[in-house]
Amino acid sequence: MTELDFTTSVRLQVIETARDTGRVPDAAEVAKLLGRPDAEVIDAFHRLADAHVYVLEPSDPHRIRMANPFSAVPTPFAVDANGRNYFGNCVWDALGILSLLGGDGRVETHCPDCREPLRLEVRGGRLTPSTGVVHFGVAARHWWDDIVHT
Amino acid sequence: MLLFRDEEHVARYGQNRGVSMTTEQAWRLADAWYRDRADPGWRRKTAAEAEAVFASIGLTGDFWRLG
Repeated sequence: MTELDFTTSVRLQVIETARDTGRVPDAAEVAKLLGRPDAEVIDAFHRLADAHVYVLEPSDPHRIRMANPFSAVPTPFAVDANGRNYFGNCVWDALGILSLLGGDGRVETHCPDCREPLRLEVRGGRLTPSTGVVHFGVAARHWWDDIVHT
Repeated sequence: MLLFRDEEHVARYGQNRGVSMTTEQAWRLADAWYRDRADPGWRRKTAAEAEAVFASIGLTGDFWRLG
């Protein structure tokens, strides 16, 4: 298997585990599932982070913080789909989880200003009528300057 | 990227910079961006491809430029 193929295998395994459990796996879990050494998986994590596909925990490269659209840590963007719960990194990613999982489910969040709960629901690949506006504070070319806070 | 109740709340929160879009645009953006993420052949979009996705849902102008 080439390095590129292995990186793809790691990427797909992370998505599969996140999809099936609601949890983003760490390097040891992916290594066990793929039957490969932890170090090879960590190298793949770094390649995916360099390619802006992942954000790793700064103090622990065994752990992914963001496997877009999934967040490994709780966020204000909760997703309920296929009978499981997930967290998106932002409202865009939370909706992205619904797309990735087939286009049915809900995003539960709240207005950052007034804290009112807000819900977006997608059924059959279509957003149901909803209120609210989605705001991007950072221009596209600067998203990866500090992606965790974008 | 945050979801606000309305534009008044965006302004009150101090987000006087940036761009707002409808929830429908956000869904279309998310769907175009992530629908194929689990495909084995997925690769990260080039700047031109990403800008084409933005433009396809009406997101144009300097804010959405990557190149």
